[in-house]
Amino acid sequence: MNRDNLKSKNESESSPEKTRKGISRRGFLKGAGMTTVGTVALQSGVLGNTLDEQSLDEKAIGPDAELIKLKVNGESHSLAVEPRMTLASALRDKLQLTGTKVVCDRGACSACTVWIDGKPVNSCLTLAVEVQEKEITTIEGIGTPEKLHPVQEAFIEHDATQCGFCTPGMIMTASHFLQNHPNPDLEEVKTALRGNLCRCGTHPNVFKATLSASKKM
Amino acid sequence: MEKKKLILPHGIPGHNLGEIEREVPASEPPAWPVNDKLKEVGKSVKRYDALAKVTGQAKYTADIQLPGMLYAKFFRSDTPHANIRSIDISKAEDYPGVYGIHLMKTDDGNYPVVKYAGQPLGGVAASSLAIAEEAIKLIEVDYEYLDFVVDVEEAQHPEAPIVHKEKIASQTDGGDVGVTHDGTQANGNVVGPSTGSFFGGPRGDLEQGFKEADVIVEHVYRTQVHTHLPLETHGVVVDWKPGNMVVYASSQNTAAMRDELADYFDISKGEVRVISEYTGGGFGAKHSAGVYGPMAATLSKKTGRPVWLMLDRKEEHISMGNRPNSIQYLKIGAKKDGKLTAIQQRSHGTAGVGLGAGVGRIAQVLYECPNFATEQYDVYTHAGPGAAWRAPGNVQGAYGVEQAIDEIADKLGINPLAYRDVIDKSDIRKVERQRGAEKFGWSRRKAPGSDSGPVKKGMGMAQSTWPRFVTLDSTAEVRIMRGGAVEIRSSVQDIGTGTKTVLGQVVAEEFGIPTEDVSVLIGDTYFPTGPGSGGSVATGSITPPARNAAYKVKMELLEQIAAKWESDLSNLVMEEGKIVDKTDDSKSVSFKDALKGMRTSQIIATASRSDDYGGFQQPWGLAHGDLGSVQFAEVTVDTETGFVKVDKIVAAHSCGRPLNPAQVESQINGGVIQGLAYALYEYRVMDKQTGFMINANVDQYKLPYAMEIPEIESIIIEDYSGTSSTDAYGIGEPANIATAVAIANAVYNAIGVRIYEIPITPDKILKALNKI
Amino acid sequence: MNKFSWYEAKSVEDALSKVNATASDILGKAPNSSSVIFKAGGIDLLDLMKEGLVNPSTIVSIKNIPGLDKIEYSEQDGFKIGANVTLEELENNAVVKEKYLALHQAVAHAGTAQLRNSATLGGNLAQRTRCWYFRSIDHQCYRKGSGTCYAQEGENEFHAIMNNKTCASVHSSSVSTALMAFNATVEIAGPNGKTRSVTMEEFFVDPETDSRTENILASNELITGIAIPAVNENVKSFYIKQGARESHDWAIADVAVVMEMSGGKCNNAEIVLGAAAPVPVKAEDAAKKLRGKSINESVASSAGKASVKGATPLANNAYKVPIFRSIVKRAILNAV
Repeated sequence: MNRDNLKSKNESESSPEKTRKGISRRGFLKGAGMTTVGTVALQSGVLGNTLDEQSLDEKAIGPDAELIKLKVNGESHSLAVEPRMTLASALRDKLQLTGTKVVCDRGACSACTVWIDGKPVNSCLTLAVEVQEKEITTIEGIGTPEKLHPVQEAFIEHDATQCGFCTPGMIMTASHFLQNHPNPDLEEVKTALRGNLCRCGTHPNVFKATLSASKKM
Repeated sequence: MEKKKLILPHGIPGHNLGEIEREVPASEPPAWPVNDKLKEVGKSVKRYDALAKVTGQAKYTADIQLPGMLYAKFFRSDTPHANIRSIDISKAEDYPGVYGIHLMKTDDGNYPVVKYAGQPLGGVAASSLAIAEEAIKLIEVDYEYLDFVVDVEEAQHPEAPIVHKEKIASQTDGGDVGVTHDGTQANGNVVGPSTGSFFGGPRGDLEQGFKEADVIVEHVYRTQVHTHLPLETHGVVVDWKPGNMVVYASSQNTAAMRDELADYFDISKGEVRVISEYTGGGFGAKHSAGVYGPMAATLSKKTGRPVWLMLDRKEEHISMGNRPNSIQYLKIGAKKDGKLTAIQQRSHGTAGVGLGAGVGRIAQVLYECPNFATEQYDVYTHAGPGAAWRAPGNVQGAYGVEQAIDEIADKLGINPLAYRDVIDKSDIRKVERQRGAEKFGWSRRKAPGSDSGPVKKGMGMAQSTWPRFVTLDSTAEVRIMRGGAVEIRSSVQDIGTGTKTVLGQVVAEEFGIPTEDVSVLIGDTYFPTGPGSGGSVATGSITPPARNAAYKVKMELLEQIAAKWESDLSNLVMEEGKIVDKTDDSKSVSFKDALKGMRTSQIIATASRSDDYGGFQQPWGLAHGDLGSVQFAEVTVDTETGFVKVDKIVAAHSCGRPLNPAQVESQINGGVIQGLAYALYEYRVMDKQTGFMINANVDQYKLPYAMEIPEIESIIIEDYSGTSSTDAYGIGEPANIATAVAIANAVYNAIGVRIYEIPITPDKILKALNKI
Repeated sequence: MNKFSWYEAKSVEDALSKVNATASDILGKAPNSSSVIFKAGGIDLLDLMKEGLVNPSTIVSIKNIPGLDKIEYSEQDGFKIGANVTLEELENNAVVKEKYLALHQAVAHAGTAQLRNSATLGGNLAQRTRCWYFRSIDHQCYRKGSGTCYAQEGENEFHAIMNNKTCASVHSSSVSTALMAFNATVEIAGPNGKTRSVTMEEFFVDPETDSRTENILASNELITGIAIPAVNENVKSFYIKQGARESHDWAIADVAVVMEMSGGKCNNAEIVLGAAAPVPVKAEDAAKKLRGKSINESVASSAGKASVKGATPLANNAYKVPIFRSIVKRAILNAV
């Protein structure tokens, strides 16, 4: 099926000339390092549809920072964010909740795991504007030095930290898993943690801690 | 110097434990007995900072936020090799929110030659990271493009583009103190050979040795480039106020960073304060301030504001270090009785634009062999520089040597474990082989390739050695405060290895109090200079001064009490939280009350690392003995798909007196898992067409996660040598050396074919089995 | 990421009236002041945006459009699954697990638990390839309009072994592998209330047909859901994904096998290979080996061999051929 045909057909009603023909795809990308950053002129008029910008602008947020509300660990916060700000950045840079770590910044390491409405997600791939109505829980919210979560206790007991940078993400993942799997075996624990990267090689103790915490929850 | 004699434990409990008498300086504390008889040391005391880590309260450099702080970002070359004609920053300078831009220049005022894709060329400080990134896109560079080479073999070709036309001075690579390079001009891109180490140069007569051999094994072994990937990237926050530069750093060597920055800016060391409270992993790559330290400092000075400069994941992969690859030719000869007659080694590896691609000294020292020679060459390529990584060189070297030894055993018809008994003179490894084999169940091992069916099991083992390195320039301060505080202070840092905890334990043991009563204040160059956390030197370097400083403080406190009680000082003991006169039951005071009664607000003492008892000093520090290790691996190989899975590792290790077995075990787990990653999964992929690293992320750079983690059992063997007041050594490097080759030997045992190249990905297995 | 505005669409019509491009339309182009695209879970889109490959001026969120998050099932008609249903919801659907095992397995092995909580079914289908050249801002590849597929002469160990001469990338949706094997259809809404329904084979297009993207979605179209035909209790299925590691990973090779059995014989079969070609492909030659046969090791093995007949591996990916042979065979044997 030819996509170009399809598109010209769909667009024929509004703008018959706006096919993809003649659109430069060079853009600002470099072909094998042959061009210099920022020297290629911006392409204009490359897009088919005319946007009803007026109607969009009225309801759209941004692109500059606007005040939003986030409910984090049971507390409401008003903060100014640009729509492009990730939840990880909002938590860390705006709310100083730096327990949430950013490692890969692309959803591949789970270090930035927080709970949205009780489910673990990557805060690096979540925009702050998306979660305004949601309950956000971070590592700072599941336990405190005075009143630790059983998983936190078990991590201390079983030496499940080395450098500690993956630890918050590990704990947010493990503690959620145990809520729904009260009596897991080792394979289930491994499966639950299979998205969390650790470079120090602390996994064996993370497994032990998680199994041990399951008996106290 | 006044001397005294100490009787110290010596040997391996359960094997040959005895005592040794050493003459030591009179200021040294009394000998500790073996761990069994101690209260805090040798116990798995809870990690000091675990509470902060599990609650998200631990503040890493990336987490530091200071009032008025700017965010900086490097702008980097987007081509691997070029001369820069001009750089136009005018648009970037005018961009709203940009506070400062600094372009890097060489000493003669020119722009540097671009030698790898992603090389830093300058930095931008702005009110947010996003603005800094946007501004960087507005910088225009006019390049004169040059040919490049990223492949280690192609770079050796006489016609290959030259990476460095100038001489490169000797490179210190942090974790390894061996002399590997002398700064001579490269021949094309090839530097070397390095033929010796501090264990000496070539010995004997190779030709004669091979003549005497009944069996000879000769192969080329290949290992890949892999990148450290610490979860926290390299970076600093620099707040440079007049006369006072405060640097928060993700560092494994605060003192070295301070010295580098003071040197770089030609200011006094006292003006620079480097703080590393928490560091999110280093593994050898975080010893230096690199370019990022001076860049952030320059931008801070320029703007008058604190500057945050943490690298992103791609920058980390490309420019912040890697373990160089190796192509190792290795030939080993042995007699029928197993005795080795000759070892010849020749290696080429690339640390990109840097040096340090040797294969270490495993071939030279692991086994006795009268005839030995090595030639180790560095090959420059247009790629990011290598950096020290857990047992630099030796991990690569072991991959060749320990497979070749296995193969000789096979040719001689001897079980590879038993063969090591024949050729290995190390006492510690003998015990490790025995205890490891028993725990592992080595007797289950079958003949190579003998499993029927497509999915085959295999078992292998391998050995390693690492010297007991010590940094003599290691100082700790211990202070007790009237009213109750007990503190230990040093610039030494804890990068996740547990240094804080063991320092607390050592001081607590000396004072006879619980470890938790000791405050450990480290990772700050306002405290006395401690060692770097690399080369497995930290524990052996800083725990003896910590104990000795505590001992001095203790003696001063006891003197005050003896005077008050009119007791003989030699009758006072400090243990179990009390001070008592052992000749008079009525004279007793709790440690806490004794602190309340101090004459001055504090008693402070410092101590520095002294020469090892028995005197093993080398010019560059101390190294003697053998942190030997033996690891066993059990694997499953799917011969239809080519996938290897590690089922089990048993790791038998020694680190002198283990101070905290749980933390030692954690580091062994780490060494094993990094070794497993090296053996099976990770490798840097450079595109030869464009010169870019194309898997510079976490998604496509393959590391093991939970499902790949085998059962790991560690055996920690106490090995007393009577060399210092703690007799303790590190474990970081030893844990990492033998794993990959033990896995390779197990793969051979499973399928009956050897794989000479890591990582052992399915294509290599299927090729070896003639399935593709 | 470049700056953009954010708009929450209230309905499919609302969303379609706002957007003027797909992420693929603007991929590799300079930021433009009037490019408006969709975002659902955002897993793929944010990755592309963070790399600097996609720079919209406005994002229209379709995540909260009412009705797109429903799973409907009937024994007669099978499933209708809204495009915004998350992979996690699908993974935990009991009927999917019981009757569409291969789909359950594919979903459960997609990404990480964290990603599955955000990732939507529609987004999973419409995601772009994970080819490292494509994902790199430093490489202007065929998919970005250059005519150069770097994988041909470059690093191609994870690339296609079939139909790989123009662009050797492989599509990354392992969920699609299973959906295609169940003959699912994709429900698409266009402007002016137009809708269309296409098979999975129609949904995916070859690089020769469209250099720009792997699917037929036009700039003003939106996936609203997936329909999966009903299966009876004689339908058996199995899915195997072989990644570089067992923990979360993209497929080096994946396969879904769906067989309708009757008295020990296979009446009908579908075998779909993922990560073999630029888009998921039905291995019809392999399926033929099963139809009308009793399933045993030798039949399964012959299907495995047939599945990669005519493969044209590149310099570094010939190893995928025996892997496909093996996992196709194993999936068949495991299904029954």
